[in-house]
Amino acid sequence: MRKHYLTNKQRDTLSVVIKCFIGLLFISPLFVGLVFSFVPDAELFKLPTFEVIRKTSSFDNYRTLIQSLPVFGYLRTSLIDCVLVITVQVVFSSLAAYSFAFFDFKGKNFLFTLVLIGMMVPAQVITITNFLTVRRLGLLNTYLGLAVINFAGGKSLFLFRQYYKTLPREMHEAAIVDGCGDMKYLFQFVMPLAVPSIASVAIMVFIEEYNAYLWPILVARKPNMYTIQVGINQLIRPDLLPTYGKLLAFAVISLVIPVLAFVIGEDYLISGMTEGSVKG
Amino acid sequence: MSIPASGTAPVAVPVNRNSLKKKKFRLLPYLLLIPSLTVMTLFIFYPFINCLRLSFYATDSMGRAGTYVGLRIWKKVLTSVEFKTSLKTTLKYCTSIGIGTFAVALALSYLSIKMLKGSRIYQTMFALPMALATAPMASIFSYVFSKYGILNAILGTNKLWLSGTTLFPVIVFIVMWANCGPSFIYLLVGFRNVPHELIECAELDGVTPLKKFLKIYLPIASPQVFFVIFLNILTAFKSFTMIKILVGTDESPLATLLVKLYNYAFVRERYETGCIYSLVLCLLVFLVSRVQFYFEKKAVFYQ
Repeated sequence: MRKHYLTNKQRDTLSVVIKCFIGLLFISPLFVGLVFSFVPDAELFKLPTFEVIRKTSSFDNYRTLIQSLPVFGYLRTSLIDCVLVITVQVVFSSLAAYSFAFFDFKGKNFLFTLVLIGMMVPAQVITITNFLTVRRLGLLNTYLGLAVINFAGGKSLFLFRQYYKTLPREMHEAAIVDGCGDMKYLFQFVMPLAVPSIASVAIMVFIEEYNAYLWPILVARKPNMYTIQVGINQLIRPDLLPTYGKLLAFAVISLVIPVLAFVIGEDYLISGMTEGSVKG
Repeated sequence: MSIPASGTAPVAVPVNRNSLKKKKFRLLPYLLLIPSLTVMTLFIFYPFINCLRLSFYATDSMGRAGTYVGLRIWKKVLTSVEFKTSLKTTLKYCTSIGIGTFAVALALSYLSIKMLKGSRIYQTMFALPMALATAPMASIFSYVFSKYGILNAILGTNKLWLSGTTLFPVIVFIVMWANCGPSFIYLLVGFRNVPHELIECAELDGVTPLKKFLKIYLPIASPQVFFVIFLNILTAFKSFTMIKILVGTDESPLATLLVKLYNYAFVRERYETGCIYSLVLCLLVFLVSRVQFYFEKKAVFYQ
């Protein structure tokens, strides 16, 4: 028999502590960014000792960064873009999902297959031609140009439809017979019930849109329309010697919101990802 | 003798009326689909077809189709050394990341199977990178791996990590780290599907941990395992930000198809060449998805 020197409970606690340590190690790049963003550039060219970090840490990097670049303006653009995409996509997908879930109509299967096919086309493949379209429509450097390609979302449509199908159809029929219009039924009855799926979609879309890089660098050409991801390019231009202190400060500012969003919305994000995507 | 005919008639009437009611044309379901389908048509289907069309034309700097050249540019691109190198780079890059990310996620999720008080803390930490924007993370890594960066300082070396022979493994390492969140979550779901009694029985029978993993956890989580392997390969096809920021796109030593696409279309304004790279990329994604579909049907073990 193997002898246990620790009780089960103690062993569990120990394993949690060890795994948390591994977790911290895993996300250590974040801490590197955070800690060194407070250290002046001059000290970053050699490994600063703890003593140096303690003595020299200040908000100087942040101050010079904010003086030289409109970081909060970039952040505002990003957030407006995200809110726009989330709102429109939730409404558009809810309408379409309602149609697919509650009605039988001619061509339904065909149209649904079309949506599925649309979901399979990688966004990168159509970036060039989408860019040409948006430019021809005169939407470069506009919020609409940034957001419009994501106004429809196959994933959200799918998720909402999945959820609506769990609602009893008789209830829908009863409501209609009682004189409740379809729109009223959707907005006052179905959507409030679907708040958890809406939250899942919102967090998924938020992370994707906030982190988007390729599309915004094409569409946002003028500095006043830079999103936060485009703005960071200002500091990594190849012709400039990187000023790492400022760069790290920028990175930290831009990561605050997604980290908070993830920690708060983790459960919704996970349920959105796992629902209907893996047959298990 | 057919007597029942009259007997069934009264029953048939309501059914008939019902189906008549269903056949009544209603506009609403179509109206509800208009917003989503319009956006999808304008920004998914039309651009795809346009991409196909443009690949047969010489385009001007505004991306308008000029003279029809048929398959001439296709032939030029597909036979070029540059394209072959790019294809090879892409495949090498995607396989490395696909396998690497899977391995990391497998280890992390296997560590987290048991639900304990406080396990949420490390689960959140393991999944966190998926929420982090790639551009700022790339900036942080550009410091970590720079000449004066923390890695050189710790190792006491003076190496340019993001160039030469170390470039590829370093980028793969970073992307693996950034991509493994979703895989971690899917695999964890799969592993937690394993019935508790099964594990207890196995433990009573003295099954070794390795055997437990290979013979119980992996087979039961096989749907997630296959899903995750392909998910990672497909994600790797689309990775751009890390390469753009850490390596650059011009004359890039890591010129994947997506990098080439970007360079041709948006740096040199050769849209038709860019479109050809797009379509090849699309074909690759499609093929990998087909293989995934095949495996899902053939090789996955369902309980």
